[in-house]
Amino acid sequence: MRTSARTIRVMAAVLPLGLALAACGGGGGDDTGSGEGGGGGDGDNTLTVWAWDPAFNIYALEEAEKVYQKENPDFTLEVQEVPWEDVQTRLTTLAQSQETGELPDIFLMQNNAFQKNVINYPDLFSDLSGSDVDFSEFPESVVAYSTVDDVNYGVPFDNGTAITALRTDVLEQAGYTVDDFTDITWDEFITLGEDVLAKTGQPLLSGQAGSSDMPVMMLQSAGASLFDEEGNPTIVDNDALLAAIDTYQRLVESGVYIEVNTWDEFINTLVNGTVAATVQGVWILGSIQSAEDQAGKWAVTNVPMLDGVEGATHYTANGGSSWAISSNADVELAQDFLAKTFAGSAELYDTILPTAGALANWIPASESDVYGEPQEFFGGDAVYSKVVGFAEQVPSNNTGAYYYEGRDAVSVAITNIMNGADPESALAEAQSTVEFAMGS
Amino acid sequence: MARPTATAQRSVPGDAPVAGTVPAPLAPRPKISRLERRKSLTGWVFLLPASLLILWLSFWPMIQAAILSLQTGRGTRLSFAEPLWSNYTRLLEDETFKLTLQNTFLYLIIQVPLMLIMALVLANLLNNPNLRYKSLWRTAIFLPSAVGLVSYALVFRTMFANDGLVNDLLQGMGFIDSPVNWLGETGTARFVLVLGLLWRWTGYNMIFYLAALQTIDRSTIEAAKIDGASSAKAFWYVTVPQLKPMILLTAIMSTNGTLQLFDESYALTAGGPANTSMTISHYLYMVSFRNSPNFGYASAISYVILIIVAALAVVQLKVGDKRD
Repeated sequence: MRTSARTIRVMAAVLPLGLALAACGGGGGDDTGSGEGGGGGDGDNTLTVWAWDPAFNIYALEEAEKVYQKENPDFTLEVQEVPWEDVQTRLTTLAQSQETGELPDIFLMQNNAFQKNVINYPDLFSDLSGSDVDFSEFPESVVAYSTVDDVNYGVPFDNGTAITALRTDVLEQAGYTVDDFTDITWDEFITLGEDVLAKTGQPLLSGQAGSSDMPVMMLQSAGASLFDEEGNPTIVDNDALLAAIDTYQRLVESGVYIEVNTWDEFINTLVNGTVAATVQGVWILGSIQSAEDQAGKWAVTNVPMLDGVEGATHYTANGGSSWAISSNADVELAQDFLAKTFAGSAELYDTILPTAGALANWIPASESDVYGEPQEFFGGDAVYSKVVGFAEQVPSNNTGAYYYEGRDAVSVAITNIMNGADPESALAEAQSTVEFAMGS
Repeated sequence: MARPTATAQRSVPGDAPVAGTVPAPLAPRPKISRLERRKSLTGWVFLLPASLLILWLSFWPMIQAAILSLQTGRGTRLSFAEPLWSNYTRLLEDETFKLTLQNTFLYLIIQVPLMLIMALVLANLLNNPNLRYKSLWRTAIFLPSAVGLVSYALVFRTMFANDGLVNDLLQGMGFIDSPVNWLGETGTARFVLVLGLLWRWTGYNMIFYLAALQTIDRSTIEAAKIDGASSAKAFWYVTVPQLKPMILLTAIMSTNGTLQLFDESYALTAGGPANTSMTISHYLYMVSFRNSPNFGYASAISYVILIIVAALAVVQLKVGDKRD
């Protein structure tokens, strides 16, 4: 009786603990065994990839798999859908806990975050120096996002080249054509916009209040950045930035640009026809084309340039992403896969362009006939070869490890300037916020 | 430790059922002492697994975070700061941290008392024995607590959009001429956030009060009424004092919850405009995962939250708990 009571006590103590430990241990073991951490140079002809959009980058991966299988029939690609914010959280957590064995072979990364991750966590990446990828076949400004200390860490994927997309039917009502909006300055754009607003009641542009997207696009179009090449913030005494913010403020105050609070509201202003144009990365065409009733009523041209700023151009970019090979990868296979698909297959880009609107950064792709085909949605214009032409002229943008801090601080400054703060002192404050973050 | 167990087991049915009565010893002391020691040992054995897990999964990371908060560096290349407390002194110069701390306290001071008073009043109304469809009302008020934090935040964001439901309703009824930019102005953005919190959490706290009200003897309230007290006075002087332990519990839980507020700030207002609705926990997330990661500094921020929560809990215990 006594012994059995004691046995029960001991079991009561040990069982739950044992079960709990077994559960934890088992979980860990399973993870390394199965899909989660499928990387590693095990030579089994399989690559695991993290990407986030089934209609876009995941679809592109599946097509790339088919292309690569033609010469490597045993090859399989295991794609895991992971939203971008989770990719960032996972990478940070794995790096911080030094569990790099859980990494996939390849992951997709936002261009804006690329340098931050390489500089903070170099042990997450394998560089591409020994690969067959010819980086001269990509626009310099795009390769710059994933280059740290002259070493390439990423193969550029989607194109963030900025365009002006306009509703030709609305312009016609006001007596204008797309040509009136091509190769113009922002001052001219505001004048035209005020006239369109007066005649049709429709503003031209829209965007998220407090977002730094628009001013930063303007900034890059003049070849300027929030940081210099050494990564020091250049937010104060930055004439291009002051001009960009001033232009933005005049756009909003004239009523030509309307501010909304969320991304969904912004997309709605386009598909509902609240606004008659947008200046945004070329990927916005995907959302524009979802409004089928507007087919044939859109046209694409280059973006306005800043007035009175040295080095101003009609070309800039927003967003975009690149493929990175992890430190846990079957590096040889991963490099060969990327070199023969995203950095070497015109066939791949010809497939994914019409169905997913995935525009190549890889310059040779733009020579194919698919890129030159007239697009009915855009009034029969060959918009894709046009945009690839823009892409080559986009000035580079310095990002560095503190790019998110820089953009956020500038967003705060813009909100304050719109509420009446003095631009120079608001930007000085933004600079000190970034310097504070850097001074850890 | 073992005394209540022993008492409960030995109290004979039909005996005086008042809790806490120590039964008369049935046997000589040494024998009880051994029995009690065995029972005590049993209790500890049952506690052991949970305690070990808590130590390992909760306290050990807290100690690690404390060590981390004294370190600085880039990514994983961390080293001890010079001087050790530099992450903490750095907080004093961080304007964003000060702003988020101020925002969080604003939510705390406005939302927690308002919510607890509303919960108390609602619980009292729903405890009325003559009320019809009682469970329907209770369910309706409690239901928001079953909604996911992010999903309700997104619904609120849609409702308070410039062309959202709230603006449409207000315009339709003629209260406003042009849409209010709810999430675009500091004051209204904070208001919407507090409104969301009230909607989400009032029912949750109400359930605690309802449960506590069941333990209150109705005769105490009836006695007060017979003595001529109005309903309000009976509520304030008879019911509320008896709910005091529960009020204390909900106050501490709500304070703790509000100081660690994240989802609403992240999903509903995204911290905007210009960070004026961002909470400390949201800032903590930004420092760790969105910005160039600075885990030493982030740990220091989390320790400041811990210290504030602990300090406020101690104050509330001192002020609220007059039991002897």
